[in-house]
Amino acid sequence: MPSLSHFALAVVQAVLLLAAAPLLSGFMRVVRAKMHTRRGPGVLQDYRDLIKLMKRQDVHPPASGFVFRLMPVIMPATLLVVAMGTPVITRFAPIDALGDLITTIYLFALARFFFALSGIDSGSSFAGIGASRELTLGVLVEPVMMLSLFVAALLAGSTNLGTIGAAVASLSMHSAAATLMAAAAFGFAVYIELGKLPYDMAEAEQELQEGPLTEYSGPSLAMVKVSLSLKQLLVVAWFVAVFLPFGNATSMAPLDLAAGLVVFVLKVLAIFAVVGIVENSVARTRFRLTPRHSWLGVGIASLAFVFYLAGL
Amino acid sequence: MSGFHLVNGLSGLLIVTSLLVITARRPFNSAVFYASQSFVLVLVFLALAGVTGSHELYTWSATALVTKVILVPVIMARVFGKLDDPKLGSGERISPALSVILAAVVVVLCFVVVSGVNLRTAEAVKPALAISLAHFFLGLACIVTQRNILKQVFGYCLMENGSHLTLALLAANAPELVEVGIATDAIFAVVVMAVLGTQIHRTLATLDADQLTTLKG
Repeated sequence: MPSLSHFALAVVQAVLLLAAAPLLSGFMRVVRAKMHTRRGPGVLQDYRDLIKLMKRQDVHPPASGFVFRLMPVIMPATLLVVAMGTPVITRFAPIDALGDLITTIYLFALARFFFALSGIDSGSSFAGIGASRELTLGVLVEPVMMLSLFVAALLAGSTNLGTIGAAVASLSMHSAAATLMAAAAFGFAVYIELGKLPYDMAEAEQELQEGPLTEYSGPSLAMVKVSLSLKQLLVVAWFVAVFLPFGNATSMAPLDLAAGLVVFVLKVLAIFAVVGIVENSVARTRFRLTPRHSWLGVGIASLAFVFYLAGL
Repeated sequence: MSGFHLVNGLSGLLIVTSLLVITARRPFNSAVFYASQSFVLVLVFLALAGVTGSHELYTWSATALVTKVILVPVIMARVFGKLDDPKLGSGERISPALSVILAAVVVVLCFVVVSGVNLRTAEAVKPALAISLAHFFLGLACIVTQRNILKQVFGYCLMENGSHLTLALLAANAPELVEVGIATDAIFAVVVMAVLGTQIHRTLATLDADQLTTLKG
């Protein structure tokens, strides 16, 4: 049973992440504009978009069912649950029961499932194809994610994200080689999950990639858009929590928490700056070739597992 | 972290670098990765020397540094950089992903084989011994799965690195003469193969092993 202060921390960090998510996608747009040497919109552009969308009317296609209406609520709700369980500024999960890696994987899968299902439910064939594309990508990424995290869990002796993070931070993982390989594989999976080029473009809702968004409008679209940027922030926070937990707060003291927050913001900014540079300097791969890349990820993750088995 | 831990962990890095050598697109990049792999090998020798207190291993690592980290990669980069066969493409028979998975399987098999070895010197470094054996097979796999003859030379070098590591692990106190023999052996083999590669490219204008079916010149 989490204490009241832990619960408060969980709620505060979830709300903070939700509030910061549009700022992050704004930052990514600024990075892209800089790389294109054009002025582009400001950092706050995504907030303006969201406010504008919130004022619009919500329109549903006549063929759509209840899943289409529920998804804009279910997706942010699921992601907020993940946000409450991930060790973001502390080294331990604020709510222990939610900080389990299997729970986190399945919660992300739940969000993805409803995202794709709403595309099929909208009745638009274009959205349906986009939905099947989204699920295919999920099928390709999740094995890498699971295998690399299980290696980390085996090394740390626990599936709790906080415990794994603590083991990495104290450099007490049994095998450095296996940890590094697992981190590489997981980082790769997280990159695909971010929905960035060369695999995806989270902003391209008029294209097939974000096809499920085709029929959404008004407040629903705003909710889905904010969830998509929240998801990007969360997967990076997840990676940071497991493999880069250095400098996180180890106690609930206010000063520690503040320092942990600053460190987290710096780490996320650094990671997203790198992601922005990678994203804007590559061309899009053909979707049919994505399995080749993801199989490479599976290979790296299985090598990590083998290193764990061999006790390197 | 004890010294033997360091030896085992570093030998894991050897597998990673050899996969980079195998999957690199251009022979020049392979040469760079080969140099980094040899550097890891030198680090393994140094760690092993620190643990076993063997003075010979220090001289080994010095000669390996000169020959494998500097001399052989420089020769290969200089000679192979000039040779090019646009028709060959990547020249892989299997995809990089499959190579990585295959490497994982090979490491497991080698680990099973090595677990049956009962040698007093090999007790603490069994994982590293498995890696050295796996490394030998990875080199063999590189020769079999790559059509590019220059990449096949790298396969030979990988096999050679693997057997070098086995020797260091099992016979840390072997005299320097053995080591000098191995090092010169490697250099001359690479020089001979580089000359052969140049000749083949000049006469047949190809680097594809599958094209080398006719006698010419």
